[in-house]
Order: sequence, then C-alpha cells, then structure tokens
Amino acid sequence: MTVRSRPLSPHLQIYRWTITMAMSIAHRATGIANYAGTVLLVIWLGAAASGQEALNVVNDIYGSWFGQLVLFGYTWSLIHHMLGGIRHFIWDFIIGMEPGQREALAWANLIGSIVLTLLVWTIFVWMA
Amino acid sequence: MRDTIITRDMVANPKTAYGNKKASTRHFITQRVTGAINIVFLLFLLFIVVRLAGQDRVDMVTVLGNAWIGLPLAALLVVVTIHMRNGMRDTLEDYFAGSLYRLLMLLNTLFCILVAVAGVAALLKLVFWG
Repeated sequence: MTVRSRPLSPHLQIYRWTITMAMSIAHRATGIANYAGTVLLVIWLGAAASGQEALNVVNDIYGSWFGQLVLFGYTWSLIHHMLGGIRHFIWDFIIGMEPGQREALAWANLIGSIVLTLLVWTIFVWMA
Repeated sequence: MRDTIITRDMVANPKTAYGNKKASTRHFITQRVTGAINIVFLLFLLFIVVRLAGQDRVDMVTVLGNAWIGLPLAALLVVVTIHMRNGMRDTLEDYFAGSLYRLLMLLNTLFCILVAVAGVAALLKLVFWG
C-alpha cells in the first residue's frame, strides 16, 4: 500500500470566504495554539512543584500585561476549540448539516466563544 | 514539501490511498473520545486557574496536593496529550508525506510525551511530596 500525499488546492486565494470555512480554519489554528499553550500550564505546575522562587518568576510573567494578554488569547482559543469540537459531535449525529444550519452553527461557534471568554474573564478576573 | 507528485496512474491504482487506511478509523474515534473527556478537563482547568492564579506555593500545594484533585488532573492531562498528538497528526497528514511526515510525527510524539511527563511529574510531586 502506497500512501499518496494529499492534494493541495489554492483554495484560500481563490474561493470566496465563508463563515464555515473560516471556522474550520480557526478550529485547526486554535488546536495548534492549544497544543503550544499546554506548555504554559506545565511550566506553571512545574514551578509550583519546584519551589516558591520559581513560582514567583512564573506568577510575575503570567501576571504582567503581556502574560495576561497571552492567557486571554489562550482562554478564547480553548473555548473556541471546545465549541468547535461540540459542533463536530452535533454533525456526527447528522444534525445541522443543511444549508443555513451549517452557517448558523459556525456563527454560534464564533459568537459563543467570544461571549464565554468575556464572561469567564469578567466574572473571574476583572470583577474578582 | 511532498515526496511524490500525484499522477493519473497513481490515482487510478487501487493499491494507493490517502492517509493511513488501517488506523484512520481508530484515530477518528480516539479524537472524539479524548475530545469529550477534554470538556471535563477544561472545567477542571477553569476551577484550578480561578482558584490558584497568582497564588503562593502553599495554596498550590493545598489544592493540587489533594489527591482527589491532583491525580484526576494528572490523568486528564495525559488524555489531553493524546488528543494533541492525534490532532497534530491530522494536520501533518494533510501537508506532509513520506519521510518528512515520519520525522515530524516523531517530533510530535516526543513533544507530547515531554508535556505529559513534565505535567504528571509536577502533579505527583505536589500530591505525594508536597
């Protein structure tokens, strides 16, 4: 059995952008971001395990404006990918695949991820 | 990027295929099962980050050192790394083939093992040695 390399089409430059296409790309992009983002979690856990000084350094970096910006983006990325995954579960039951429904689900994915992210940060960070 | 150019003959040849014929169904199911478990992980993560962000080591040990929190989190983190490796495989399969694909898959596996081992080691340290 020979494995063929998959056909690549210049779809990004040629096709009109649709919301389903954008959310499909966003699902992959957030997946890759989450892949890298686990390092942030592991560094935090590792610092806590190793000692107070290491934890202070990590807390200072994560608590800085840039650290907070990255963590905000990471929160959105995780939530967007989770909602995207739930959308795939819905599709697995052959629900929501008709024209209009697909677009509605894709918009719900985007809007839901932004609303949930803002909700989490408002309740647990900005108001806490 | 690609080792082989896809020719007419190759597409017509039933002995060639896109992707891994034997394992792809398993990869699909693995991704669904681990993805569902990751929803639990995210809720867990939210609880831990909200509870512990910016806190001192004493607080981290109190919460994560509790075996009922630290050990499930370690198990969920391992599931996350399985999902990560499988998802990255999906991406690599799309853009790479042949020996370059195998090299990148090896790096992918090593990265995921590193994340899992580092995370689990840190949590086990917090649970059993404080």
